[in-house]
Amino acid sequence: MDSFIREWKLAMKDRVVLVSFFVVTLLSSYSSIVGLNESASELTMIERVEKQVNQDREYSLAKQSDAGSAAYYVFHFTYDPPSSLAFVSRGVRDELPWKHRIRMLALEGQIYETDAGNPQLSGLGKLDFAFVAAFLLPLFFIILLYDLRAVEIRNNRWHFLAATSGDGRQLLMTRLVLRSFLLLSALILPFVVAATYSGVSLMQMMLVIAAVLVNTLIWSVLAFFVINRIKSGPTTAAVLLGCWFLFAIAIPVGGKHLVEKLIEVPRGGELLLTQRETVNDAWDLPKEATMLPFLERHPQWTNTPPITKQFEWRWYYAFQQVGDQTVEPISKALSEGIVKRDTAMGLVALASPSLLTQRLISQTANTDIKSFQRYDKCVRSFHQSLREFHYPMMFGNVEYSLEHMTGLPSFKPCIN
Amino acid sequence: MRIAISIAGQEWRYWSRTKLAGAVALSALLLVCISVYATSSQVSKERDTRESLQIEAQDTFRDQPARHPHRMVHYGHYVFRTPTALASLDPGVDPFTGTVMFLEGHRQNSATFSPSYDGAQAGPFSRLSPALVYQLLAPLILIVMGFGVISREREANTDRILVSSGISPISMWLGKTMALLGIAILLLIPLLLGTVSARAGFVVSLTFIALYFLYFVAWVLVITAVSSWSQRSSVSLLILLGAWLFFCALLPRVIVSASNTAIPNNSQIETDMDVIFAMRSVGDGHNANDPAFSRLRANLLEEYGVSRVEDLPVNFRGMVAQTSEAELTQILNEYAEKRMANHHKQTQFVKSFEFLSPFITLQSASMIVAGTDGKTHHRFLREAEALRFEFVQGLNEAHAHKMSYDNDINRSKDSESNLRARVSPDNWRVLNDFHFHADSASMRLERVSSSLGIMVIWVLAFTIVGFVGARRLPEIDHG
Repeated sequence: MDSFIREWKLAMKDRVVLVSFFVVTLLSSYSSIVGLNESASELTMIERVEKQVNQDREYSLAKQSDAGSAAYYVFHFTYDPPSSLAFVSRGVRDELPWKHRIRMLALEGQIYETDAGNPQLSGLGKLDFAFVAAFLLPLFFIILLYDLRAVEIRNNRWHFLAATSGDGRQLLMTRLVLRSFLLLSALILPFVVAATYSGVSLMQMMLVIAAVLVNTLIWSVLAFFVINRIKSGPTTAAVLLGCWFLFAIAIPVGGKHLVEKLIEVPRGGELLLTQRETVNDAWDLPKEATMLPFLERHPQWTNTPPITKQFEWRWYYAFQQVGDQTVEPISKALSEGIVKRDTAMGLVALASPSLLTQRLISQTANTDIKSFQRYDKCVRSFHQSLREFHYPMMFGNVEYSLEHMTGLPSFKPCIN
Repeated sequence: MRIAISIAGQEWRYWSRTKLAGAVALSALLLVCISVYATSSQVSKERDTRESLQIEAQDTFRDQPARHPHRMVHYGHYVFRTPTALASLDPGVDPFTGTVMFLEGHRQNSATFSPSYDGAQAGPFSRLSPALVYQLLAPLILIVMGFGVISREREANTDRILVSSGISPISMWLGKTMALLGIAILLLIPLLLGTVSARAGFVVSLTFIALYFLYFVAWVLVITAVSSWSQRSSVSLLILLGAWLFFCALLPRVIVSASNTAIPNNSQIETDMDVIFAMRSVGDGHNANDPAFSRLRANLLEEYGVSRVEDLPVNFRGMVAQTSEAELTQILNEYAEKRMANHHKQTQFVKSFEFLSPFITLQSASMIVAGTDGKTHHRFLREAEALRFEFVQGLNEAHAHKMSYDNDINRSKDSESNLRARVSPDNWRVLNDFHFHADSASMRLERVSSSLGIMVIWVLAFTIVGFVGARRLPEIDHG
C-alpha cells in the first residue's frame, strides 16, 4: 500500500501523466457532448418530420376518392430512433439508412435510399466516444508507458529499484496499473455522467465499461510484456506503435478486403435496374403477365374479376408487387450477404482489440449492422401491413371510405 | 554542404545497421506500394465499367419503342460519374456519394448505393486510400525513423565531438534533415509512379506531387526541429507522437464534429417535406384539373381564341406537364442549392482551420487537385440535373405538340386508342449524351493556390525553428 501511495504521488508530479489525463478527459467529454447533441437533433428531426408527414397525409387523403389514389398519394414516415446510448457510437447511422418516407409502391425502389451527410467531411470522420475508447486510447497508453522502465535504466536507477523491490516487476506493475487506471477513469468518468444524463440503464453502462476494460487490459498486458523485454524507450514505443498499426489499421483493413472478396454480395445497382425494368415493362405486357404471378402469391384474391380496362389501380399495385417479387432473390441475397460479412468481421475483430471494442460498444448502443437489419425488417413488415390494409379495397369487397381509412396502419419503430 | 551530405550518408548507414529502422522503412514502403497498386487497378476497372454502362443506358433509352411520352418521363435515365484520373490515388467523396444517379420526371434523386452500403464495417480507418496512407501514416513512419536524429547524438555526447572537429551545428542539422528527407522521397516514389501512370496531365500531376512533397518536407522539418530542441530522444518522441496524434488524428475529427454542430444539415427527408409544402401551390402535373392550372388554362384559351381546351391546337395536358415540371424544378433547384450551399459552408468551416494542421490543408487540397472534392461533386449534380430537365421537357414538348388532346384523354379506353396515344421513338432523341469532366488544370491550380501557400509557410516556419534550434546545439550541450 505504501508503494502505491508513493507511486501515486510520483504520477501526480509527472507532467506527461497529467497532460494525458487531462486530454483524455477532454476528449471523452467532448465526444459525449457532441454525441448527445447529435442524438437530440435526430429526435427533434423525427418529431418534426412525423408531424409534417401526418399533416401531409390528412391533406392528401382528403382529396382522394378511391383506394388506389389514396395509396399513391399518402406517404409514411419510418425511422429508427437513436437509443439512449447512441451518443457513444455513430456506428452505421451515417452510412446506412435509418429513416425513410415510403408509400405503397414497390418497396425495393424505395428502401435503399440513403441520406448521408456532407460527403466531403465524411472522409475526415467524426469523433465519437467509441473511436476515442477503441482507437485513440491505445495511443495514449503508448505515450504514457513506453518510457516506464527505460527512463530508470537511462538514469542508472533500474538496478537499484529492482534490487529494493523484488525483481522490479512488482514496481513496474504498480506503475503500469496506476497509469492504466488513471487513463481508464479519465475516459469513463465523463461517459458515466453523460450516460446518466441520457438515462442509460446501469446494465448497458456496465457493458460499455466492460468493452473499454477489455481494450485497457489487453494493452496493459501487451505494454508490460514489451516494456520488460526492450531496454530502450524509443524502441519500445516503435514496437507498441507497430502493434497499434496492426490492431487499428492492418487487421481491420486486411480483414475487410478478405471478407469482401470471400463473401460476395449482389451489386445494389443491378437490383435497382432489374426492379425498375420489371415495373416499367409491365405497362406494355398483357395484364395476365402481371396478374398470374401476383395471384400465385396471393391466392386469396383469385376470385377478383379479370382486368379489362387499359388502366386499373389494382393492376398497377399488382405490378408494383410483382416488381418486388422479381428482385426478391437478389434482395435476400444482398441482405444475407451483409449479415454474413458482418459475422465474418466479428471473427476478424477477435484479432483486433480496437475493432472488438468498437463493435461491442456500437452493438450495445444499437448502432451496428444488426440494428440496421432490424430496422430494415421493421420497414418491410410495415410496408406489408400497408398492402394488407389496401388490397381488400382493391381486390376484395371492402368499400373505400375516409372512415375506413382511419384504420390505416401507422408506423411504430421496432425497439428491441 | 559536402559535410552535410556526408552526415546524411552517415545517418543512412546508421539506419541500415539498425534492425528496427530497416524493418520500419521496408514495411512502410511495402504498405504504400500495395495501397497504390490495389487502388489504381480497382479504379481503372471501375472507370471502364462506368463508361460502358453510360453508353448502354443512353442507347437503351433511345431504343425504346413508340410510347406515350409521359411513360418515358418516368422510364427515366441513368447517369454515371466516371472517376477522374487521380481518383485512383485519392478517391475523395466517391466512397460516400455513390456513383450512379437515376434521372426521372418530378424528382431529383440523390446518388444511390454508395460502396459503404454493403461493405464490411472495419472501423474508422477502413477506407485506407493511398492518399490517406500518405496523409496519415507516412508522418508516423517519418517520426519513428527520425525522432532521434539529433537528440540521439546529444545523448551520446557525439555531437560535441562533431562540433569540435569543425563541423558546424548548422551542417549537422542540414545533414540530418537531408537524410530524413531521403526517406521521405523514397516513400514518395510509389505515389510518383501512381501519378505518372494515372496520366492526369502534366500540371495536375505536378501539383499533386508537389502538395505531398511539401507536406513531407514540413513533417521532416518538424521532426528535425523537435529533435534538435529536445534534450533527450524520449522527450522528442513524446512531443512528436503528441503532435501527430493532435494534428492528424484528433483535430480534424474535432473540427468536423464542431462543424456539424455549428452548421447543422437538414436531412433529405426534411428538405423533401419543405419541397412538398412549397409545391402545394404548384399543383400536381398529372392532374390537369388541379385548380393550380386554371390560370394556365385561361391564358391558353385566350391566346388561341377558343372556349374549350378540346379546341386548343396544342395538347393541354402536355402544356400542364411542361409548366408544372418547370415550376417544380425551380423549387427543387432552390432547395438543392440551399443544401449544397450548406455543405459548402461546413467544408469552408473546416477549411478555415487549415492553418492549424497541415493534414487538413493537404486532405482538402489533394481532393481538389484529384478532382474528387465536394464542389466538383456539386457540379456533377447540377449538370445531371440540367440533363434531366432537358430531356423531361423535351418529352413534355412532344406530349404537348405531337399528340392530340383527344387521343391523350381517351388513351385508356381500349387497346386501339391506347396505341393512338403514342409518339414515335424519334422523339427519344431529346436525350443528350452525358460527359462529366473535372475542372480544368488551371482552375484546380487556382483553387489550391492558397493551400500551397500555407504549406510553403509551414515549411519556412519550421526551417527557421530548426535552424535556430541547430544554432543552440553547442550551448545546450555545454550549458
